[in-house]
Amino acid sequence: MSSFTINRRVFMGGVAGLAATGLLPHSVMAQGGPIRLGALTPLTGSGGPYGPVMVKAIQAVAGEVNKAGGVLGRQIEIISEDDQTNPEAGVRAARKLVDVDKVSAILGTWASSVTTAVAPICWESGTLLATVSGADAITALPHQGYIIRTQPTTILQGRKFGEFAVEQGVKKLFFFSPQTPFAESQFNNITAAVKAAGGETKSLIYDDKKPSYRSEVDEMLAYEPDVIVLGGYAADTTVLLKDIFRSGYEGKKIAFAYSVNQKLIDSVPAEIVEGIYTIAPSPAQSSSAYKRLVSLIGVENPDPYTTQVYDQANLIIMAIAKAGAADGKSIRDAIRSVSQAQGGDVVDNAVDGLKLIAAGKPINYQGASGPCDFTATGDISDSQFRYEQVEGGKLKLLKIA
Amino acid sequence: MLSYLIFTLTLGGIYGLLALSLNLIWGGVGMVNLGLAGFFAVGAYVSALVSIAGMPLPLAMLLACVIGAMAGVIATFATIRLRGDYLAIVTLGFAEVVRMVALNERWLTRGSDGVSGIPAPFRAELGINGFNMFYLGLVSIIVLAVFLTMRRLDGSPFGRVLKAIREDQELATFAGKYVTRFKMQTFALSAAIAGLAGALYGHFQTYISPDHFQPLITIYIFLAVTAGGVGRPLGGLAGAYLVVFFLEATRFLGELFPGLQPGQVAAVREILVGVALLGVLHLRPQGILPEHIAPAPKTETTP
Repeated sequence: MSSFTINRRVFMGGVAGLAATGLLPHSVMAQGGPIRLGALTPLTGSGGPYGPVMVKAIQAVAGEVNKAGGVLGRQIEIISEDDQTNPEAGVRAARKLVDVDKVSAILGTWASSVTTAVAPICWESGTLLATVSGADAITALPHQGYIIRTQPTTILQGRKFGEFAVEQGVKKLFFFSPQTPFAESQFNNITAAVKAAGGETKSLIYDDKKPSYRSEVDEMLAYEPDVIVLGGYAADTTVLLKDIFRSGYEGKKIAFAYSVNQKLIDSVPAEIVEGIYTIAPSPAQSSSAYKRLVSLIGVENPDPYTTQVYDQANLIIMAIAKAGAADGKSIRDAIRSVSQAQGGDVVDNAVDGLKLIAAGKPINYQGASGPCDFTATGDISDSQFRYEQVEGGKLKLLKIA
Repeated sequence: MLSYLIFTLTLGGIYGLLALSLNLIWGGVGMVNLGLAGFFAVGAYVSALVSIAGMPLPLAMLLACVIGAMAGVIATFATIRLRGDYLAIVTLGFAEVVRMVALNERWLTRGSDGVSGIPAPFRAELGINGFNMFYLGLVSIIVLAVFLTMRRLDGSPFGRVLKAIREDQELATFAGKYVTRFKMQTFALSAAIAGLAGALYGHFQTYISPDHFQPLITIYIFLAVTAGGVGRPLGGLAGAYLVVFFLEATRFLGELFPGLQPGQVAAVREILVGVALLGVLHLRPQGILPEHIAPAPKTETTP
């Protein structure tokens, strides 16, 4: 028994020590210090390939603004947390950002389930949430304006997929997707477009963690489609594409550009991905904001999420300047006056925007992901789409429309 | 900061309930239940859905326990002939089945959109901070009650039979114990506690989705019970709080290594969780607060 007493002391000491490390940064906090913004991105888990670059873009924007003197005379500090692509972990991370770091805004939540889980924390604490999640239900939450989203809704995306399939002369379209919040809405909108042109569709929802999709591919072959649409993410799409190739299917394939990206193309033999069409909400690649982003973070082809968080960071910083205050409510109220002011000067980055705001001019931000104009519910009102095709292991641009 | 601590302690309590549940079934009867997240999910969904349909919260939580227990009984029936690794695999499968049902039966569970707007008790009356305090109190009282029950159970004849079954099932049968019934009762009780934890989690967070119930949470609880001490309720409970504090405390490590990229910090956190487990297992294989009774008493000391 005596050995147990000692152990309990050691144990309690250990607990106290751990708790103390939690308390440590608190004492360093001070009012009137830097403006804190939270980056809550998936650094591990299935979103892991996207998060690190997203944080880099957010930090790059903050660095640029800080170098030019900050905003409202204060520096901007980006606090990065990992949502682990898991809502349970995401909520813990968001609590820390809101309660300990007192951030004014959280940027970059990626998985729709994480965004939905984190959203109540944000609107209750008056923290702005800027997300890249696609699920339609997110902006239907009672968020009182605290959510803005730079990702086009699936209604719009589904229609674009359907219309593109029609352009390819589709008769029978087969839709593969893991169970995602947007799979159903995506498929319904594809179907609407294809049916209008006299074609037919069928969908198959698969489990995105399977090591092989033989049986799913057999089901697809039995339907004899001439176009298949791949609705998954990079990891499951890689496995699925290999099985489709082995099956000898020779029709057309359309996929999201975020899944069939250069990384995926490089990781599999060229013949497996040859000829795949990809569609994505187009980063406004010809825009000056996009070029700035590329040179800022040194990434050749930033994915759509990275271009979106870049815009989110710029918009939030300019909204702080416009409002003259750095709390979440002020950002919420001011953000549309910098993203889409009537007759405002067009700007593509926060540093220039801050100068114009200081000069009292209205501004209209045109970002790397698109025009960045928001509806009353927080969705973006317009987006261009980019169509590409894999050719000899490279993505070749077909059109932006 | 205070509200963050309150949040962490509340979550620690919910993890603690899961640890008590696992400790009962694993530490008690020695059945490896990798399906913990499944029972957690059953409780969360049952309580969330019936309370949205208008059932008062105490009844909803009770129902979560009952349905959780029923799921436990069903799982025992399905696995009664299995032991060790085989049981572990099947229970893991059970958790995945629950998650798949939640993901695909959209009419009931709203699929991957998840269930949002779950009622939280007295939230409107107490305000956000008041609610958080109240909920911490509620969870802590429930944890304490369950813990005391478990400790009582541990020392009771029932608990001794469970340990007899864990050590040698045939011998327990030989001694006249109806092993199947004991297993079923224990599994049901364990699943009911996990269901209760799920219900408490759902009403606390107001949102649940299939993504919440990935096997990750089961792993955390195994970590908690292993580190705390298998077979002793206090060990499991302390382990759960310790795991939550550890997970949260490692967040602040990034500030100590300013040279690392955010992605690397996230990876370091995951490595630390693994290293901590290895460390505990190496230094104290029986856990921080090991079981009181020596598993195999020496017989030759009798005169």
